[in-house]
Amino acid sequence: MKRAVPAVVLGSLLLSGCGADSIQELRGGPAGHGAHDAAGAPARPMPAQGTHSGSEHGSDQGPGEDSAQGPDRSAQGAGAGVPAPSPAPPVGTAAGVAFNPSDVMFLQMMVPHNAQGVRLVRLVRDRQVRPEVRELAEAIGVTQERESVSMSGLLDAWGRPATAEDDEHAAHGGMPGVSEEEVAALIAASPAEFERRFLDMLIAQQDDAAQMAKVEVVTGLHPEVTEMARLVDVSRTAQIARMLTLRGK
Amino acid sequence: MHLRHKVATGAAAAIGVGSVLALLPSIPAVAHGSMSNPPSRAYVCKTEGPETPKSAACKAAVAAGGTQAFYDWHEVSRLEAGGNHRQIIPDGQLCGAGRDKYRGLNLARADWPATSVSPGPLTVTYHATAPHANSNFEFYITKQSWSPTQPLRWSDLEHIRTFNNQNPTQFTNWTINLPQRSGRQLIFSIWQRVVGSTEAFYTCSDVNFGGSNPTPVPTPTPTPTRPTPTPTPTPTPTPTPTSQPGGTWRAGTAYAVGATVTYGGVTYQCLQAHTALAGWEPPNVPALWRRL
Repeated sequence: MKRAVPAVVLGSLLLSGCGADSIQELRGGPAGHGAHDAAGAPARPMPAQGTHSGSEHGSDQGPGEDSAQGPDRSAQGAGAGVPAPSPAPPVGTAAGVAFNPSDVMFLQMMVPHNAQGVRLVRLVRDRQVRPEVRELAEAIGVTQERESVSMSGLLDAWGRPATAEDDEHAAHGGMPGVSEEEVAALIAASPAEFERRFLDMLIAQQDDAAQMAKVEVVTGLHPEVTEMARLVDVSRTAQIARMLTLRGK
Repeated sequence: MHLRHKVATGAAAAIGVGSVLALLPSIPAVAHGSMSNPPSRAYVCKTEGPETPKSAACKAAVAAGGTQAFYDWHEVSRLEAGGNHRQIIPDGQLCGAGRDKYRGLNLARADWPATSVSPGPLTVTYHATAPHANSNFEFYITKQSWSPTQPLRWSDLEHIRTFNNQNPTQFTNWTINLPQRSGRQLIFSIWQRVVGSTEAFYTCSDVNFGGSNPTPVPTPTPTPTRPTPTPTPTPTPTPTPTSQPGGTWRAGTAYAVGATVTYGGVTYQCLQAHTALAGWEPPNVPALWRRL
């Protein structure tokens, strides 16, 4: 299905969790979010590998050349043309409610991210940790499983797959999540170290989720999804605070 | 955290049900980048190895904040920044981008591995694992009044130079002019993406001009960085209040299975023991609360 490519407006912000580099890449489509066919889009030159010198053309600001004024301006070297965040246009409608590429991407990233979190917290089941840590881990597990049901349900209603293809992330920032190496290190940890390592890993995991959620709140269009994102941000932030307390900071 | 080898998600659990280490063939994760010369704190510790820190500072950073910061050394970023760095990153948390995942980078220590530098031109290098076109790079250095045992504040930074509309490659060099300084300083950079994203990356690179820093002037601002934990038995948290049956839901309260609360005029029953948190209000978490 052809979709009109919206005019690229600098103020139109795109979710960067998948690191998409152009509006065309977030047009979405039946194959999932961030379809990179970019049909009709101008070709974007691939950055060359290797070393090169940064350009000194384009606007360059040295000390005393900053254009904006302000009380602390001497410390600020803000560059030009930073986009103001705003939701991208819709790419579909379901049950009369429109959704945009940010909504699709957020859900497609959160479903696997939640699954990874569930597997992390399940590692606690046969390890020695304090009751408070176990209780928090179990509660995180069941709430994230339930969240994923809602998220997958929406993607299904929208005709989008539950997760994006691996290679849709590879060219960008990659999909946030735990690596085999990190999980192995956690499993291999001594009983004395396990709980602290577990908390550190889960803090990082939830921090990543909060990041994705913060962007969706600003760039998403579908009210149910932006509200889910708001709750992800709030709940993961509260969990992190609790874990830092349990860890003794 | 970024995937090097993707841990099995639900769809692929058939490969090894119940095994956390059931792995899929993976796309190697790339992320974005950090300063490689002079190396950022994240770069230094990832080079030492997240599981094998060598320097006292990297050991302390791992002890304070975990290894994840160094597995994900190239993702010290704020997705939602959009130029609003000073609004979203508190004083004392600049090096860690204001994120708890990277709190180990904020440690105010005088023994971070540092690159020797002199006033005058310095060629700096940014190692971008996933270069992004059209970005702005801002470079700052700490003022002479700053001292490494002080948490880094925005007001401690002096702007050196900004390069706009850059198209970084895997290794990109710029030449910046370092002012007169003595002792240990920090070179701070902000890589702000411009097209297609509001994401910004932050780096702290410890440098040493030789000579000494001024004696730190005590500031009235409380230290926002968390102290390095000592190896003592883990603390027991203050017992959380338990609920009254049917009382109003409140964050911080420990609820047992079967406990009842009201929220928004509706009564709920607890399905899973937990301590209530913001974001887990009864209508929001059907896995924890059943509406009666």
